[in-house]
Amino acid sequence: MPSAAVLPPPDFAVASAFPEHRWLQQAAQAHDWSAIRAFAEKFPRGADRTFVVTTVADVPEIEYPLREFVAANPDDLFAATLLAAREVIVGWNIRTAARASQVSREQFQTFHHHLRQAEQLLIRVTAADPAYDLAWAERLTTVRGLQLGQNEARRRYDRLTRHHPCHFTGQARLLQQLCPKWSGNWAAMHSFARECMLTAPAGALNASLVAEAHVEHWVDLKTKNERAEYLRRPDVHRELVEAADRSVLHPAFRRSYGWVTAYGAFAAMFSLIGDLPRAAVHFRALGNLASEYPWAYFDKPADAYVRYRNAALAKG
Amino acid sequence: MSQAIQHAEIDGVPALFARHSGPMQAGLVFRVGVADETFGRAGITHLVEHLALHRHGLTDYHFNGATKAAFTHFHVQGNEQEVVAYLHSVCASLANLPMERLETEKEILRTEEAGRESSQIPLWRYGARGYGLASYPEFGVAQLRSDDLRQWVETWFTRDNAALWVAGEQPPSGLTLRLARGARRPMPAVTSALPACPAYFADGRGGMLVEAVVGDGAAARLYAGVLGRALFRDLRQDGGYSYTATAGYEPRRDGFATVTALADALPEKQDAVLGGFVDVLAALQAGRIEQADVDAVRAQADATLTASDAAVQRLPGTAELLLAGRPLRGIDEQRAELWAATATDVHAVAREAMATTLAQVPRGERLDWAGFALAPTHSSHTVQGRRFVAEGQDGGPPLIIGSEGVSLVTDDGPVTVLYRECAAKLGWPDGGRILIGHDGLSVQVEPELYGADSQAIAAIDAAVHPSSVVWLPPRQNRPRAKPAPERAAGERRGNGRQRPGRSGPAPARRTRGQTAVMLFFGVVAALWSGLALLITVFGATDPQTTTGDWIAMTVFFWLVAAALAAPPWWIVRRTRRP
Repeated sequence: MPSAAVLPPPDFAVASAFPEHRWLQQAAQAHDWSAIRAFAEKFPRGADRTFVVTTVADVPEIEYPLREFVAANPDDLFAATLLAAREVIVGWNIRTAARASQVSREQFQTFHHHLRQAEQLLIRVTAADPAYDLAWAERLTTVRGLQLGQNEARRRYDRLTRHHPCHFTGQARLLQQLCPKWSGNWAAMHSFARECMLTAPAGALNASLVAEAHVEHWVDLKTKNERAEYLRRPDVHRELVEAADRSVLHPAFRRSYGWVTAYGAFAAMFSLIGDLPRAAVHFRALGNLASEYPWAYFDKPADAYVRYRNAALAKG
Repeated sequence: MSQAIQHAEIDGVPALFARHSGPMQAGLVFRVGVADETFGRAGITHLVEHLALHRHGLTDYHFNGATKAAFTHFHVQGNEQEVVAYLHSVCASLANLPMERLETEKEILRTEEAGRESSQIPLWRYGARGYGLASYPEFGVAQLRSDDLRQWVETWFTRDNAALWVAGEQPPSGLTLRLARGARRPMPAVTSALPACPAYFADGRGGMLVEAVVGDGAAARLYAGVLGRALFRDLRQDGGYSYTATAGYEPRRDGFATVTALADALPEKQDAVLGGFVDVLAALQAGRIEQADVDAVRAQADATLTASDAAVQRLPGTAELLLAGRPLRGIDEQRAELWAATATDVHAVAREAMATTLAQVPRGERLDWAGFALAPTHSSHTVQGRRFVAEGQDGGPPLIIGSEGVSLVTDDGPVTVLYRECAAKLGWPDGGRILIGHDGLSVQVEPELYGADSQAIAAIDAAVHPSSVVWLPPRQNRPRAKPAPERAAGERRGNGRQRPGRSGPAPARRTRGQTAVMLFFGVVAALWSGLALLITVFGATDPQTTTGDWIAMTVFFWLVAAALAAPPWWIVRRTRRP
């Protein structure tokens, strides 16, 4: 086992875990929409392929060529979805991830403008193809940003899962919607996370949403004492253990899109709780890979990652 | 039985006849309705209809009258003699309206209006004139005089502006229609208050209402049916968000028809109803028309056309078409059109509908995220003139009275009514005024609140055309320039497109709980008051009660009665019927 000191620093690059990320972004920069489409169409039916859309939507200024392409090809549902996803990112970059009270009126107006553009594209796409997973998954983000309501979010989730049961990204997005910061409540959020775990096949990523739910709950607590108390709760620990066993630690587990985040959420929660042997298991699985979530919730994410990993591997 | 409609003429009135077993049915239809009125005379057609039917009183046979947007119907069902007698009587009454009943019928109309909830849609689509008047109270009724009614009858209720339809074993014998000569009136002008569609406005409580105007025809009828089925399936059967989810079709008889779709909602499911409704409309617009839906709606429509009483059912509508100068088509022709319409045609109607769609969502909800433009609640410009600032706290936005019109300068933009585009001026004797523009926007001028002198009000009065003036009876609570809590509603008053009630904005709708409290305390207060009355009356003469005791008991009992009556009194004043 490598000692903690010689492990390389955490690598947050998505392409390190998923090399196709680099290729997809290059294809987008070359405006090779048909190659991207061909890649997306190779996924087996029912698979969560949101990764393709989020990867393209992350390419800076890609909205300009996409707007031109969509204007010329209004019936291209895939391109319209890519553009919508990019509009969401552009809008959210303007809004920033700050709490609503820290966001100016002008920022909100521009944010909503981009989200409305995205939503109207997506309404058209899901109207034309009500089974289109990529567009429904995006509509679970617009519903939150536009604050269209909890029932409407659930309705969209139901429409998505009617054709794509246990859609992992859809579930992760609805989980966000169910947080109190988006007018949800803890009971609904935890119970939804559990529902995702119990309805998913063994070894699927879905159960890791239980860990995300606990991350969300913990990070939202205001005082040190409240946080410490939360981490001491035996039911929280028990649920994390069960969720890890059903997902990333299950023999049937395969490293599909989102696996770095899943290990990360378990590693972070077990570290915070102080169950270092369990934290170590997840850190070992990660190697030095990291994703923005959940580490962005920590002050200096890379430092936090290294600190918790060192502690875990030293003991675990 | 023959499906054909036979044409004839009786005393210059075109008549339609269809063979029908059972009691005879007939209708006399005039090409006049609410959309032909002006604000100052709003309700005049309805008042004429009531007066024309008054002489019938209680009868064994069934009769009725109906005032619609562009047509007025007198309908009867009975034996041949009864039908003939009814039609004779209607014509006689129109020639000589029972004016001694005028004030009583006005009161009846007021009562009828109090129980009616008019749709807000016409006002937002058409503005405060023509077809838009259907949204407003019958403001003109109170000030109508017998001469106004006579003039209205001479203009509109004439033999040249009438059509008769009869369904029976044979045409009625001995029927004469003594109506004055006149002229066939064109259909009401179609006005618009919507600069862009699809549009929406937010008013009222739960659910969502969507209306579109499309070319009248078989494909449009199919579209309305398909839309209703899609709404029912998505919002009720699949989602469980709505109880009622349906759509209807109503020809306007000018070559166009309105398709109205409705989905109700529990308050907590409101958001999902809006989202689901938007998606249903989008799916049809995208061309996802279920062939099974088209087939089902078509079969239903065909069954209606081929039913044994099809001709009878179509008679009132055919009479309207005849009056509107539209081509009349036989059942075979209509069936051919119905069977020729395809899902592609329905898709074309869906696209046409979207370009005229107006949606009503509950107050506080939005639809801009779905690409619906907010229907105008503000004007593009402000008039020049004298500026008045409301006195006291929260007195409302500044008011400008100019030579061209009046403006309220709200935080969200100006609300302007120009005198030359003023549909109505409602006036109270105390000087309060509401000006309503053709676009439906209104400005309320409260002299006391704004410290406006009588000169300023006189300038408004002089500038508005007399035909637009509606005088309202004195009101109890006029807005004053002192910090009264009721003025909290100041920001809403006279601002935007609320339908003005007879005394300002409508109060909140009464909840079930409030109704229960009101009834409970009302009954208890009434019983207690009875007791208080007994003590007041008999306590004075009771030899065992001193005068001091009697006064004390009387005061005590009446105070308690007042306390018991307070909650229902408060609820009645602050709320309106649910």
